[in-house]
Amino acid sequence: MEQSARNGLIAVIPVALLLLSGFALPLIFIIFTGLMPPRSFGLLEDPTLANYRTILEEGYWRPIMWSLGFAIATTLVSLALAWPIAKALVIHAGRFASVISILIAVPVFIAESVRLFGAHLFLMPKGGILAGTVNALLGIDIGSILFSPLATLVGMIYIYLPFAIFPMTLGLSQVPPEQVEAAKDLGASGWQTVRNVELPIALPGILIGGLLVFVLALGATAEAAILGGQSVVVAVQSIEQRFNYAQDWPLGSALATVLCAITALVVFPLMRRLDIDRLFRR
Amino acid sequence: MEPRSVIVGRIVWTVLIVGLLYLPIISIVLASLANTRFIRFPHRVWSIDAYREALGLGLTYDLQWTSLKVAICVAFLAVIFAIPGALAFARYSWPGRSVFQKSLLLPIFFPQSVLGLAALVTMSAVGISPSWQTAVFMHLVWVVPIATLIVSIRLYGFDVAQEEAAFDLGATRLQSFLAVTLPQMMPGIVSGALFAFLLSWANLPLSAYTSGADSTLPEWLYSRMSTNYAPMVPAVSVLSIIASVLVVMIFQLIRLWWRRHIEAGSD
Repeated sequence: MEQSARNGLIAVIPVALLLLSGFALPLIFIIFTGLMPPRSFGLLEDPTLANYRTILEEGYWRPIMWSLGFAIATTLVSLALAWPIAKALVIHAGRFASVISILIAVPVFIAESVRLFGAHLFLMPKGGILAGTVNALLGIDIGSILFSPLATLVGMIYIYLPFAIFPMTLGLSQVPPEQVEAAKDLGASGWQTVRNVELPIALPGILIGGLLVFVLALGATAEAAILGGQSVVVAVQSIEQRFNYAQDWPLGSALATVLCAITALVVFPLMRRLDIDRLFRR
Repeated sequence: MEPRSVIVGRIVWTVLIVGLLYLPIISIVLASLANTRFIRFPHRVWSIDAYREALGLGLTYDLQWTSLKVAICVAFLAVIFAIPGALAFARYSWPGRSVFQKSLLLPIFFPQSVLGLAALVTMSAVGISPSWQTAVFMHLVWVVPIATLIVSIRLYGFDVAQEEAAFDLGATRLQSFLAVTLPQMMPGIVSGALFAFLLSWANLPLSAYTSGADSTLPEWLYSRMSTNYAPMVPAVSVLSIIASVLVVMIFQLIRLWWRRHIEAGSD
């Protein structure tokens, strides 16, 4: 036992050092920089909350609200789209399940800039792949959703949907089929079976998937830039603008801190409910 | 059993959504087959000139090389970190293990672009100039937790008694680890390395802020597609897609081979 404890403490060192220097340290830097006076450089000035006042008074909260809205909508739509797919993969796909899984996974390994560029080409008005084809076949001009908030949302769902599907499939695969049959035999309706039998067992997987989609969408920028055009500015775009064009690092850092705080508010309560050993042991 | 219509509905839905996932990729391929400055689909002339141009350009190779260099380093280093990480995560019981298990998930459940920006601020404060090496480091911060989880899944199924038996029979701790535990972890390690490679290869948000002047392929495409479009841009995209698909296929073949020869042989 003591041997195991010592081995554990030694084995954790490399990863712990990596995460402390590459994850914890940058976050601490951001939080500190956010407390420095506006447009200052360096970390040795007197701390102030001026940047946070600027965020509230000068409308910098608006991009954050857009991102929050996009993240919530993307999460809900992705989970709804993923449910029938996860059911099909677990129950009906049989030996095709691994082929379909690979087909869903391959796009994840293609850069999101490339895939969004493809979506852009598909949605382009006039000569785009969709509009051009419709025009050539039917001779009508259809409009385009490109450069709208809707296009941004569609892009986020497209990019992050696989992250909802896989954990949900994992969760649903832990539901014993006999339990579902038993519930049905005892007269439970379809919805009752889902609510009382499938959801409780599959919940950790669904939560993990939902959490992943939410967090990734909260920090998404390429979707808004490539598909949304100038129609909306999302949180990370506005942070980037503070850093690059405005050269106001303290304000950019304060905005980033707000985004971190939102992430923490969502991640920590859900994470406390996860029993990791049980989740993995199966 | 569920009604037939529900089952058929789910299958049709799955096929439809998977098909939609590939529409943008098909669109890129179609767009790359033009020779005009502006895309006007359907093309009047279909051509592969763009590929000729892309392949004749040194820049294409430079970008692929930067991306490849980063991805190979990330895959290799991620495994080095993930092996002890997974042992601490799944094998040993030690005080602080559950805190470690949850802390490990934090970088995964964190907006990557914010992490990239935070790293950029930190580097400039400390006086490190961003380059492909710093991009490797930041990719690792995000990829090592994922690789550790993948290796851990394999370790959870491992019977500790086997390693103990080797130790009792006179092997040293290190010998019993190398001879018994490590081979058991191997499939997880290979999967972890592949995931690390592909996730790094395709990453945009972390590279965008931490690679400095060493542009990776996704970064270059991101800047070119918005400012300076030409059919060459989708052609380069298609080449990078082919590279990703090839890696996945090679990996699948290795896995099949592994299952046939090694695992079947040991039973």
